[in-house]
Amino acid sequence: MNLSGLRPGERGKITRIGAVGPIRRRLMDMGVLVGVQVRVEKVAPLGDPIEITIKSYKLSLRKKEAEEITVEAVQ
Amino acid sequence: MSLNPAQKYPDTIPAIDTGKVMGLKRPLTLAVAGNPNAGKSTLINALAGTRLQVGNWPGVTVEKKSASFEANGRKIHLIDLPGTYSLSPYTQEEIVARDYLVQEKPDVIIDVVDVTNLERNLYLTIQLLELGLPLVMALNVYDEALQKGYVVDIKGMEKMLGIRVIPTVATKKTGLDELLAAVTELADHPLPRSLKILRYDQDIESAAAVVAGHIQADHPQLAEKYPVRWLSFKFMEGDEQIIEETGLTPDDAAVTQAVDHLIKAHDSDIESIMADARYSLAAGLTQEVLKKPELRKIELTEKIDRIVLNRWLGIPIFLGAMWLMFKLTFDVSKPLADWLTAVTTGPGKRWAAALIALLHGPDWTASLVTDGIMAGVGSVLVFVPVIFAMMFFITFLEGSGYMARAAFVMDRAMHSIGLHGKSFIPMLLGFGCNVPAIYATRTLENTRDKALTALLVPLMSCGARLPVYIVFIGAFFAAHAGTVLWSVYVFGIGLAILMGLIFKRTLFRGEAPMFIMELPPYRMPSFRSLMIHTWEKGKHFLIKAGTYILAVSVLVWFLLNLPWGVTQKQDSYLGRLGQAVAPIFKPLGFGTWEASSALISGLVAKEIVVGTMGEIYVKRAEEEKKAAPPTLTEDLKEIGTSLVMALRNSATNVFSSFAPSSLSTAEDESRAGLKTAIQHTFTPLSAYAFILFVLLYMPCAVVAIAMRQEFGTWKWFGIAFGYQMVLAWTVAFVVYQGGRLVGLG
Ligand SMILES: Nc1nc2c(ncn2[C@@H]2O[C@H](COP(=O)(O)OP(=O)(O)OP(=O)(O)O)[C@@H](O)[C@H]2O)c(=O)[nH]1
Ligand SMILES: [Mg+2]
Repeated sequence: MNLSGLRPGERGKITRIGAVGPIRRRLMDMGVLVGVQVRVEKVAPLGDPIEITIKSYKLSLRKKEAEEITVEAVQ
Repeated sequence: MSLNPAQKYPDTIPAIDTGKVMGLKRPLTLAVAGNPNAGKSTLINALAGTRLQVGNWPGVTVEKKSASFEANGRKIHLIDLPGTYSLSPYTQEEIVARDYLVQEKPDVIIDVVDVTNLERNLYLTIQLLELGLPLVMALNVYDEALQKGYVVDIKGMEKMLGIRVIPTVATKKTGLDELLAAVTELADHPLPRSLKILRYDQDIESAAAVVAGHIQADHPQLAEKYPVRWLSFKFMEGDEQIIEETGLTPDDAAVTQAVDHLIKAHDSDIESIMADARYSLAAGLTQEVLKKPELRKIELTEKIDRIVLNRWLGIPIFLGAMWLMFKLTFDVSKPLADWLTAVTTGPGKRWAAALIALLHGPDWTASLVTDGIMAGVGSVLVFVPVIFAMMFFITFLEGSGYMARAAFVMDRAMHSIGLHGKSFIPMLLGFGCNVPAIYATRTLENTRDKALTALLVPLMSCGARLPVYIVFIGAFFAAHAGTVLWSVYVFGIGLAILMGLIFKRTLFRGEAPMFIMELPPYRMPSFRSLMIHTWEKGKHFLIKAGTYILAVSVLVWFLLNLPWGVTQKQDSYLGRLGQAVAPIFKPLGFGTWEASSALISGLVAKEIVVGTMGEIYVKRAEEEKKAAPPTLTEDLKEIGTSLVMALRNSATNVFSSFAPSSLSTAEDESRAGLKTAIQHTFTPLSAYAFILFVLLYMPCAVVAIAMRQEFGTWKWFGIAFGYQMVLAWTVAFVVYQGGRLVGLG
């Protein structure tokens, strides 16, 4: 499953980051790393982007980027 | 910034306090680094009394800025670096920050850390420590941490990181003395080179050791120039910029082997390995030193966002907020703008004329001053209230944290035409006035977004074009005034979407901007900072636009009044120019010299179009009835009372803004003559083509200047000018000729 598949309120643990290049690097520098827990907070009114909580701060990213992030659901 | 390097590093013998030796303390250069939105610029403003731009969203500072001040008789230079999450070379900000730190070697780095976001901030701190430069941490936003009930073990942090850690609240100027004391102490008594080194796991350290050994043996000159451990990591990470700069190549088999081994051992790629290593260190540290309360309160930010970013309410709230801001801006500024116009055109001109008469200046100087300079200054002054009102609201949006939410809400729509969510605000502002809209593109981070937004902004029909529409609609479409007017605005928006799609595929091909953005907590900007930053933004406009506009107005005056002694407007240079270009407009249905001259003068400002047409079409049959000119005291009294009125009106407008208003197309008496004149020279079809042409061609000279200022070159204005002319001509052509084909007009 990927991050954009999680619904608001659901949590996941990152298992893989598929993005490449600067986007990958930016994501990793902001703490989006394998093994890290995320929680999807909101989906923007027009369906994109999404807001997640990671490392106790709020991050927004587009679904396109979120799709490259594989997660496993966490209760 | 010109720093004398000799001044910067006079201290070659670290153990001796040069200050004492020379009886004079050497100046210090301090680089301020940290995550975006950590409060770096706020801290510098607090220390140095400067007014660097601040805002509650990441990415306010994009270029390096400097500030100087004196503390205890010692000159201190502060360098505000763009906020970065890391020192990798992927974004412009990161490159700027890193180049400065590595190449300029400041005396001390102040690492501004947002304590409410400790782990992610420490990730950067760890990388700064790799550089091996003297470092002091300002543990900022300490007030919010206390409020949240966080407990931070400062002493523990200092011990673990091996640096001084000073809690600060930049917004309240707390902790600044301690911070400065720690910084000067470190600068004057540099620690011996045995800085504490934070070690990563064994595999990484041994690979780095191999690389470092290789560098020291084969490239000793690099070992001099760069911190070797840092260089080794960058080399391992395959940092292209550094590899290019240093010419390091993995020619040593031992190096390749060591890195390969590391990758194999971790079963991952090198970038992830390094990011993981640094983050796990940051996470470990955070856990040691920061205690959060067991029960986490639901914070105000979350409560607000539940409503503001709500699935159904998000868009209406956003649009409502924008509408209100837009409405307030124009309603509040309108009475003041009118007042300014009245003052400059009435008493202002009279006094200038009187002064010139007093000095026995020739007649033409009087006309130059009143019709050229005063009118020009007037046309700038009219923008002043609107610019300041707009800047006030933008400052508030920026300071509160809503700007980031607006981008979040609108990103989807804007992304489809190749823009970033944040572009929506300038576009919307464009309906009021394109000038502040161009300045508002400053909130966008990269030139691509700024340029694309600025190219589309002029398609938003601004208030100055409205008088032209009203005159023509009144003359030809009075029965359907509302619908026709609406169609003009929609036309502009439709073309903006179309042009956005075209630009996205042509001029701006390639990576659309990424949208990976932190949503900061809401904060209430202080009244003082609102005022300061509104003023700073507005001042910029006042000074530069003022000087340019003055020059352009004088030029237009000469064009209208040369060669010497012209009596007929037709014979002036502008009139002749109109005649010369008229054939271009022939296929559009308005190929007369009058229309052409009006359009040419409209390049300066659209308000002028109607004015010029009035002057040209309507013979000055009824010369203004000469009443006895008012005396100076009468003038002053009038100015005073009308100002009071204007202020009262703008204040009451704040409230009436909330009430729905209707667009008034009420006719101005003085325009009745003009109306009949254009009814004779235009047909409904050519009138509509003319309206569309006015909608689409270059908005005004101030926009040109604003674009020049924002981009630092004329290039983008040139592109905008060219495409708008082509678009305006094509659209008017298609409408006019198409209309004729189907038998209209
Ligand atoms: N509560 C609180 N807010 C602060 C403090 N310091 C800064 N802020 C706020 O944090 C926000 C960001 O401040 P800036 O100074 O613009 O941050 P910056 O680090 O320069 O950000 P960039 O230029 O984007 O890298 C502003 O809204 C400040 O008012 C502080 O100590 N406490
Ligand atoms: Mg800043």
